[in-house]
Amino acid sequence: MSAETITTDDEYALELVDLRREFGDKVAVDDVTVRVPRGSFYGLVGPNGAGKTTALSMAVGLLRPSSGRASVEGIDVWADPVAAKRHLGVLPDGLALPERLTGGELLTYWGRFRGMDATAVASRSAELIRILELEEAETLGTLVGEYSTGMRKKIGLATALLHAPSVLVLDEPYEAVDPVSARVLTRILRRFTASGGSIVISSHVMSLVEQLCDRVAIVAAGRVVADGTLDEVRSGETLEDRFVELVGAPDVDEEELSWIGS
Amino acid sequence: MDRILISLKFTLLRNSSKGLRIVGWVVGAALVAATWLSAAIASGDQVRGSVLTLTFAGWVVGAAIGPVLMSGSGALRPDYFALLPIDRRALGRGLLVSTFVGIGSAYVLLAFASAAVHALLLDPASLVIVVVGAPLTWVFAITISRLVYGLLGAAMRSKIGVEIAGIQFGLMFAAIFTGWMVVQAAVESIPALVRDGLPAGPITAVLDAFPSSWPVLAVERAALGDWTGAALLLAGLAAVDALLVLATIAALTPRENVVARRRSGHRRSARLVDGGGLLPATQLGAVIGKEYRQWTRDPWRSLEVRSGVWTGIAIGFFALVSGDYSELAAFSGLIVAFMMSLAALNLYGQDGSAVWQTIVGQDATTIRSDVRGRQWAVVLVFLPHALLITVLFILITQHFWVVPAVVAALPALFGVGSGAALITSAVGVSPGVDPRRRVGPNDANGNVSLHVWVVMILTAIGVIPTAVVVVWALVAPSAAVSVVAVAVGVLNGWLVAWLYGRIAIGYLADRMPDVYSRIRYGQVFRGQKTGVLDWLATTTLKGEQQMLARRQKERQDTISARAK
Repeated sequence: MSAETITTDDEYALELVDLRREFGDKVAVDDVTVRVPRGSFYGLVGPNGAGKTTALSMAVGLLRPSSGRASVEGIDVWADPVAAKRHLGVLPDGLALPERLTGGELLTYWGRFRGMDATAVASRSAELIRILELEEAETLGTLVGEYSTGMRKKIGLATALLHAPSVLVLDEPYEAVDPVSARVLTRILRRFTASGGSIVISSHVMSLVEQLCDRVAIVAAGRVVADGTLDEVRSGETLEDRFVELVGAPDVDEEELSWIGS
Repeated sequence: MDRILISLKFTLLRNSSKGLRIVGWVVGAALVAATWLSAAIASGDQVRGSVLTLTFAGWVVGAAIGPVLMSGSGALRPDYFALLPIDRRALGRGLLVSTFVGIGSAYVLLAFASAAVHALLLDPASLVIVVVGAPLTWVFAITISRLVYGLLGAAMRSKIGVEIAGIQFGLMFAAIFTGWMVVQAAVESIPALVRDGLPAGPITAVLDAFPSSWPVLAVERAALGDWTGAALLLAGLAAVDALLVLATIAALTPRENVVARRRSGHRRSARLVDGGGLLPATQLGAVIGKEYRQWTRDPWRSLEVRSGVWTGIAIGFFALVSGDYSELAAFSGLIVAFMMSLAALNLYGQDGSAVWQTIVGQDATTIRSDVRGRQWAVVLVFLPHALLITVLFILITQHFWVVPAVVAALPALFGVGSGAALITSAVGVSPGVDPRRRVGPNDANGNVSLHVWVVMILTAIGVIPTAVVVVWALVAPSAAVSVVAVAVGVLNGWLVAWLYGRIAIGYLADRMPDVYSRIRYGQVFRGQKTGVLDWLATTTLKGEQQMLARRQKERQDTISARAK
């Protein structure tokens, strides 16, 4: 880290402080503060439209915050983006890639674009493609644009890992991933934290978060309604029950949808 | 089923822009009137016959190309209905039938009915032929129109489709830029045409063989008493119609396997992925390689390339046939070079949300490499085409004296154009449909009307030095001047490519997140600075938002009008 980088508190892998984003009159992210300690596996959970993606976009330098700040290992993402992004590996949700490249071509482009040595790029790409079971697609010349949603997640994760970052920010990494691949993914992510890396994932699959994460924040309507260690947040219940309790769920009346299955 | 599709089509039409529709109605009516008028004032029977066959052929070509400009018939896409529990062939038929309903289609029928003038003047009894023949010709034209549009709708799924679309766009651009050459030649020859008809020869032979001419010929046969010959011609046209209808229904019937597999079946770029490759293994090399592959593999980017190439060919062809301007054909390669700058004027918008990678992977040199790499790639893609077309048309025209001028102008246009395109791409990010959801040929860009002007102005300013020496070389040709011209052209292209690229890099330096915001959220979340580029950025963004707002409002108006 160079001397001129703005350091805040670098005990946190990722720190969002009073982060806020308004779209017109709508407040998508309402002064969110989330602190991810180094080495932790952090889960950001919340219903659709809670502001998870918007908050993470601001944290990784994609979307300008209305106010507040975000830093990666003590480096402010918006004041010193180049230094902060060196530490970051990002998997966004639902965004395009260079669709007309194969997985291997994409990783080669990405590694060289990030200034990595060509031999390192080649060996890491080959390894990632093999472990993530994208080898067959690669030998058939399948383009990323033709990948299934699950395969896209996997190649996206490979791009996030390629330059060996110390902090991973993954938006819905398990969505549409088949159970076998999900195990591979989990193995990779656990290994990443075991070797000192930190991970933030967003998800609305509670059982998954419960199984993976040691820390959780529940986000609803742009606010953090609960955060802390997994046990603190679920306080004796399952995460799902606690989540529904905090976020609230409409009751399904016996009379409603009575025609279903009739 | 057919009725439902027809009413669905009208609903869609009601939601299209009202102003455009009115312009379409007026122009269509004027063309119908012109058709009847030229039939009425033709100086003799034979002249009238050839005038009618020529205008009818014109109507068929117009019907085939027209839908590219206003995509009314394409609005109902076969895939929309693929999941409904209805018979697929019935759907294909319904989609075809719905094309026949509409003002444009009625105009086409009215135009073909002008053969009645011919019949009345030759022998009123032969009007019967028109009563049968005009609808047959109408079916012929409209079915061709739907077939071409159907192929175009599937265009982005096959190489041949992209090529067809490229030819259509090429003709359209050529008509916009240099249609006056053809129009002038036509205007000069219309009085002669109406007076003398077409000179007998290959043109009339080809025209007579074209099915839209057959009812006219049938009228002439009937007037001479040869009713069998007339009936045979109409039967021939009916048979052609039947074949076309069957082919079109087949083309419009949705297939199970709608997503084309573009996989090659073998590993791609093995040497690159294994750590080698032709390009240097640097950041710049990575961008050039990625962009070059996108240009050659992505249907929307290919369409830009093919349209540019066909515009060059079509303008060269127009110049050749105009007679007066045949020298211009020798410069066709320059058109391709110029089209490159239009093809690349919205690169970031075309990439859509994929631009996140450039932001997340940012380091001290990424933006420079990204801009420079894109400049190199687009030149590498277009240059071979421009050279090929240059050689081809110089050989055809035999105007070898243009060589020094063209060799000077090509590097200037390529250099300046690549820079102008990158400035416009950076400042006027105009996203279309995000890459994975694209279907139609116009899906890759938003509102780029201002962009075209920005590119043209930047290019015009950038090539001034070369333009001066090229004119000098053309006015006072000599070996020495030619050498100077080429040197100035190369230097001019190189320097302005560097300078314009530098401007784009400087502009993007702290604005990449705003590029992403324009694509993802359709707005920019920061205070606007002042300056020409920022003014352009704000104006193009407003253009984008106004386009969306206008559509929204028209939809509201229609809904409230219907509610009354």
